[in-house]
Amino acid sequence: MLALESVTKRFGGLTAVRSVSLEVRAGELLGIIGPNGAGKTTLFNVISGYYRPEEGRVVFDGRDVTGRPPHEISRLGLTRTFQIVKPFGNLSVSDNVMIGALTRLRSTHEARAEASRVIALCGLGTHASARAKALPIALRKRLEVARALATRPRLLLLDEVMAGLNPSELAGIVDLIRRVHAEGVTLIVIEHIMAAMMRLAQRIIMLHHGEKIAEGTPAEVTQDRRVIDAYLGEEFTLAEA
Amino acid sequence: MPELRRHWAAAALFGAAAVAPLLTRDGFFLDSIVLILMWGALSAAWNVAGGYAGQVSIGHASFFGIGAYAAALVTTRLQQSPFVGMVLGVVVSVGAGAVIGYLSNRLKGPYFALSTIAFSQVLLIVASRWRGLTSGSEGIPVPFRPGLWTLGLGHLAWLYVALVVAVLYYLIEVWLERSRFGYQLAGVREDEDAAEALGIASRRAKVIAVTLSAALTSIVGTLWAQYIGFVDPFYVFSVPLSVRFALNSIIGGVGTAIGPYLGSIFITSLETYLRATFSGVKTGFTGIYLILYGAVLILVVRFAPEGITGIAARVRARSLRARA
Repeated sequence: MLALESVTKRFGGLTAVRSVSLEVRAGELLGIIGPNGAGKTTLFNVISGYYRPEEGRVVFDGRDVTGRPPHEISRLGLTRTFQIVKPFGNLSVSDNVMIGALTRLRSTHEARAEASRVIALCGLGTHASARAKALPIALRKRLEVARALATRPRLLLLDEVMAGLNPSELAGIVDLIRRVHAEGVTLIVIEHIMAAMMRLAQRIIMLHHGEKIAEGTPAEVTQDRRVIDAYLGEEFTLAEA
Repeated sequence: MPELRRHWAAAALFGAAAVAPLLTRDGFFLDSIVLILMWGALSAAWNVAGGYAGQVSIGHASFFGIGAYAAALVTTRLQQSPFVGMVLGVVVSVGAGAVIGYLSNRLKGPYFALSTIAFSQVLLIVASRWRGLTSGSEGIPVPFRPGLWTLGLGHLAWLYVALVVAVLYYLIEVWLERSRFGYQLAGVREDEDAAEALGIASRRAKVIAVTLSAALTSIVGTLWAQYIGFVDPFYVFSVPLSVRFALNSIIGGVGTAIGPYLGSIFITSLETYLRATFSGVKTGFTGIYLILYGAVLILVVRFAPEGITGIAARVRARSLRARA
């Protein structure tokens, strides 16, 4: 469904993503992990059209979308959420999600109905008429997911929707991601929280200093020496020895 | 009729203007209503860009001046109807609006606002220096030729012309609040990156909104030139004029359909009253209305930043709570 072919993104002298290739199959739930500054969000920005890569190609459904603007990519069925949430702050939750639904629907009535369905799915039902900026962070993260879902994506990129949540909120959003996946949406999930990732992802890719250093099932990746080094530092390895 | 209830304020306001001539035919009174409606419509036009699209321009006098000059030149040089000038003004303003719309995709916030000021100043210099075309800084007197087609009308007829335009602009804003494009534009205003992720071509939406705003401003510019009968480059392209378009909306309630008209009632009445009270014989006080005007603006922006509609919403919320 999605293929990255040796994608490189540089900012001046800094190479944020270095020759990363990966493939995502339809229906898959792929996890991307890596320490801060590993290039995870940059990779999302390249895939969703916010950055144009210096080298390499992004192919979605057999179509080269490298350098296409984000709205075109979104209309093709590939959208994303933002790590730093970007709600339409002065609008209601319902309006936020409805604007997402209007991507596929021309009638505001149908979009409103679709929005309330998605809002219910995402557990925001009691907050539908609240102003988006009045929501606590856990609900704003849900709103990000709801708004993206309303566009009926086939591939959805979730950028750290679990960060900063308490354990019960975390369980809620893990459950939501599972439901979205069960509805047939292909997912790529960026996450810091390894425990949650272990339970969710079918396959995990590890980025470090902009490079893909490991790929495999959750069990394989956690056994990988490079992953442990990158995450816990080489000192940890030494102390353990 | 929930539709009507939502628009009761507008219905009352426009209805009152429509029946006002039954009470009195006093020229000063009718003139005040025409001015309130025109300033309201101009601010409503500004509101399409500044409110609904979030592109705060302080250069909308550009489009007003283009509309005014187009009418003045077409009627005096070509002896054609001002409506021909209106169309010409709209065409030129659409072009100029597209330029400003393009700028809105390059520059954000205060930088965009400054660039719009610069744009209107360039037009001011062109209009005041290109003597061959515009008669330069002397301005152009617009001849009065009685008739609807020539827009040579009395106060009463002008009131209804202004009322039709005001109602039309109000309806355009109502459409902007509930149409697909309107919702998408609201998304772009709130967060462009998020809007893009939802498949909205944010740059295009902004250009469309700014261009529409420019065309609507230009139309009232044409009417204004015909109503006042004189086009002065230092007035029609001035920064205070651009500021006034913005302020009516800000005081009334930015991004709301009724806001520009509420702001216009407030500001136009205040200015007319202060001018009448503190000028003329008491020449020492000629400029004092500007000081009071400024003081009122500061108070509104400080204590009611969401404008008159914001105050109304707060009062309503409080009474609902009290009832609960």
